[in-house]
Amino acid sequence: MAIEIATVSNTSPASSQDGSPAGVRTREKGRLSSLALIVLLTVALGVVTLASLATGAVSISPRTIFAAMLGYQPLTEMQRLILFHLRLPRVLASGLVGSGLALSGLLFQGLFRNPIADPYVIGSSGGAIFGACIGISFFSQWSVFGFSATALLAFAGSAATMALVYSLARSAGKTNVVTLLLAGFAISTMFTNSSYFFELFDKTGTGNRILLSWLHGVIGIPAWTELGVSAVLLALATVASLPLMRTLNTLALGDEYAQQLGIRVELARVSIILIGSLLTAVAVALGGMISFAGLIVPHVARLLLGPDHVRLLPVTALAGAMFLMLADTLARTIFAPSEVPVGILMAFIGGPFFLYLLRKMKRSYTV
Amino acid sequence: MSCLLRLDGVHFDYQGHRVLRQTSFDLEEGSCSALIGLNGAGKTTLLRIAAGVLRPASGSVSLNGRPMEAIPLKEVARTIALVPQQLELGFEFTVQQVVEQGRTPFIGMLRGPGRSDRIAVDRALDLADVSSLRHRVFNELSGGERQRVKIALGLAQQPRLLLLDEPTQNLDIGRQVELIDLLHFLRAEGITILASMHDLHLVDKNFSTVLLLSPGQPLASGSPEQMLKPSILERAFQCPPDRHPLLIERAELYRREAR
Repeated sequence: MAIEIATVSNTSPASSQDGSPAGVRTREKGRLSSLALIVLLTVALGVVTLASLATGAVSISPRTIFAAMLGYQPLTEMQRLILFHLRLPRVLASGLVGSGLALSGLLFQGLFRNPIADPYVIGSSGGAIFGACIGISFFSQWSVFGFSATALLAFAGSAATMALVYSLARSAGKTNVVTLLLAGFAISTMFTNSSYFFELFDKTGTGNRILLSWLHGVIGIPAWTELGVSAVLLALATVASLPLMRTLNTLALGDEYAQQLGIRVELARVSIILIGSLLTAVAVALGGMISFAGLIVPHVARLLLGPDHVRLLPVTALAGAMFLMLADTLARTIFAPSEVPVGILMAFIGGPFFLYLLRKMKRSYTV
Repeated sequence: MSCLLRLDGVHFDYQGHRVLRQTSFDLEEGSCSALIGLNGAGKTTLLRIAAGVLRPASGSVSLNGRPMEAIPLKEVARTIALVPQQLELGFEFTVQQVVEQGRTPFIGMLRGPGRSDRIAVDRALDLADVSSLRHRVFNELSGGERQRVKIALGLAQQPRLLLLDEPTQNLDIGRQVELIDLLHFLRAEGITILASMHDLHLVDKNFSTVLLLSPGQPLASGSPEQMLKPSILERAFQCPPDRHPLLIERAELYRREAR
């Protein structure tokens, strides 16, 4: 009977007594503390909000906004109109969309154990659009507990798509990346394209305009009530996902191992899909199909903080809000007075990033 | 001594193929048992059933006299740890972060790890001799290093029953000796051990009981002296002496065809 002799791989020197021999990556030094990053991001988010409010066709300097906030100098009627009826709702909406997309990206990436999952890539956004279209075309007058049928159907569409993609991509406790991408692509294409059929049922033309802006990813100027409901839903979903972050860390070991460690895997999965879908639906209702934001933000946060989901949650939420505020401000000013839909701008930024990630991953995430 | 784990008449099918039939055994508290058998005999399946992650098609598994399916998952996880052959992580977790996952059954959903959890993790890292690797990325470790980290992960669960699936795989001879020493130490601490083993030399001197799985046969068990006999092993591992000439003949046949 032969004794197996361990083969020492080239990347891991046999003499690792000091903990970090030359050339071996360790993960303690150089990593930012999450508290410092949260403080930094909160300050940055304030600055970006102010800058976004100041920027536009009519420039209102941050100093004017500050002075008005502190009560030194009231705004002119025009400035007040622009700030409170146009810019502030839109800037806040872009923040909510960014947070929603980034958080759902984080949840889906954890669920699939894969950094390329994002609500757009895996078809969850497409499902939400499809659900919302059914709502607009057939049930525009309906509401349940104050939520419009459109919003509820967007959530249902997102959740159903996720469940479908998940069941297609999973086999024997593993996620196949190729199946995940192809299933997401197929479902997304199917749903977004079938959304065009709803034009046929649209007599007034309003639905059509909403639909077009959704498909291009335009963040509109929402009513304050819509913003309020979205903010509450986003806050609820974030709080509900808090206990799931530790579970996502354990799920990274694989479903069977997580079960062995006492995790009720099915329950965790369903919770993640539902919360992720709610976040997607909130984002889609405000901004339509915005690609790759849910992919880039969690990924960059992971590069800075490591893969611990507990630390990633607040940072991802803040960074997502800031990222999309910046992108939307850019989208509405870059070709001023014309506007580019932020969804289209994101496709140009996110597409190359996605390809870079796919290339970098190569085989390491094929299980 | 009391019986910690009991399998009674366990059957298990995988894709229409019967992997385990009529498998029964008792694991006494504090015992150290080796599970042997040829490849595909169902050793891994048996360990997964013993850990409660697989449910048998029929038969019963009981832990401390209670049916396994009636015990909450977290309670099972605080009693049994299974160290699997393979562990592949989705993200770049460090060794410390991986071993901390062993505390999952002790930590509430919102409460972070406490002092006792940190002590348990440090002790597990130390016992498995991976303290020096704690900040390294798990997916970048060598096979032998990963093996030791997996054992540390199991130890962080502070189990009463430790199940190990081929724990000596990928270990050089020095690390194998260390592992056996560790098993002796754990046993002295009162931990019950069941390990599937390929190296029968290691089984001979270090385990109190041998469980032998042969395809189509009920599980046989006994002391190493009783079980590790050439007659029993040759039959169980399907290595009859006339196999070799048959291979030569087949090779000759292929060679002729190739011409």
